[in-house]
Amino acid sequence: MPKTEIRVGGLGGQGVILCGHIIGKAAAIYDNKHATLIQSFGPEARGSACSAQVSLADEPIGYPYVKRPDVLIVMSPDAYSQFAPTLKPGGILLYESELVSLDEKLPEGVTAYGIPATRLAEELGRRLVLNIVMVGFFVGTTALVSAEAAERAVVHSVPKGTEQLNQRAFRKGLEFGLNLTGQGNGGPRHDA
Amino acid sequence: MTLEGYPRDLTCKDGTTLTVRPVEARDKDALLAFYRELPEEDRLFLRDDVTSQLWADRFMASIDYETVIPLLAVTADQEIVANGTLYRTLHGWTRHVAEVRLAVARPYQRRGLGTAMLRELVRVATSHGVEKIVASVVDNQVGAIRAFEKRGFHREAVLKGHVKDIRGHKRDLVIMANDVSHIWEAMAAMVADYSPTLGG
Ligand SMILES: CC(C)(COP(=O)(O)OP(=O)(O)OC[C@H]1O[C@@H](n2cnc3c(N)ncnc32)[C@H](O)[C@@H]1OP(=O)(O)O)[C@@H](O)C(=O)NCCC(=O)NCCS
Repeated sequence: MPKTEIRVGGLGGQGVILCGHIIGKAAAIYDNKHATLIQSFGPEARGSACSAQVSLADEPIGYPYVKRPDVLIVMSPDAYSQFAPTLKPGGILLYESELVSLDEKLPEGVTAYGIPATRLAEELGRRLVLNIVMVGFFVGTTALVSAEAAERAVVHSVPKGTEQLNQRAFRKGLEFGLNLTGQGNGGPRHDA
Repeated sequence: MTLEGYPRDLTCKDGTTLTVRPVEARDKDALLAFYRELPEEDRLFLRDDVTSQLWADRFMASIDYETVIPLLAVTADQEIVANGTLYRTLHGWTRHVAEVRLAVARPYQRRGLGTAMLRELVRVATSHGVEKIVASVVDNQVGAIRAFEKRGFHREAVLKGHVKDIRGHKRDLVIMANDVSHIWEAMAAMVADYSPTLGG
């Protein structure tokens, strides 16, 4: 794969860094790719905003900073406002659809997929796993890392005792993403 | 409806392999038979009359794998040898709490099965986001108290003379509790995304 740049943005407490960490780990440890992760907190945006920059490539990565992401994952309106304009033409926006509304800041030619990740996480019993729902959604919509690699990275990154819940959160996001892009069981069907 | 992670195999201390899986509609008669086989002294302190058809009908109808999550241990011949169930509510002030009830068939007791079933139930509870698990045990149920203690439960409260056994004798009820909220604290710390050194 050519170098792919990903930016994850949201608020403190949404697990933005862990989300980026798991994507990088899935690619690097379980999919044999190269990955870098840079995390930024606070001053970069207002309030407790934070973001993670992840780069994935087949070759070693020389420049780890993400200026113009191919994929942008946003979990808060601020992160959307700040980073949406930086998306590459032809890029993909993944957003928390009950927290973020799209507007003219979204560059033309960008594909946007929304997911009510907070609500799905709450349905699973814990709002805390919203970021893992997002990881699943990222995998389901972009297939940039394999589902197996990502699920393993999830299970190996979360605290002991929370593995199963996080696994369910991952699968929920994955399924939602697959359905939205027409690859899932419940997705758009062609009449026989 | 399915329960993630099941069926799974479980090996007893003596090497017997059992399968742990959720209760399904087809298990009703076998479950009733399992409870009717339990000696009276084991049934003495169970909350419901688990040998009645009415109980079995109601129990089976209540299973939704969300608020009533029952697990079985079965032999290779599908004989039920243990049943452990988690009860939760999804609303109200104890929505973070689950209650567990457990019974092991006599020939299979004292082989670590009760403890093993509890491990499964605790795992299922945490995978549903539960923060605290409780069990009600009568003060002289040594085996039960021991099994719960081995799985991280402690005696949290005693209700004096709270239960009457089927012979009419009053006994103390011990509420055993396992606070698993620390694992949620670990999870919360991981997603806090706060770094004082970086100005967050
Ligand atoms: C409580 C019960 C589920 C325990 O099941 P079990 O499979 O025998 O449990 P384990 O084999 O894991 O035993 C757990 C510990 O208790 C001890 N123990 C079990 N039964 C005992 C008894 N009758 N007397 C003394 N110790 C006993 C075991 O030796 C073991 O301790 P150890 O590991 O230090 O040796 C089982 O006795 C039962 O079904 N009782 C009737 C129903 C009941 O009381 N349920 C609890 C209320 S919810």
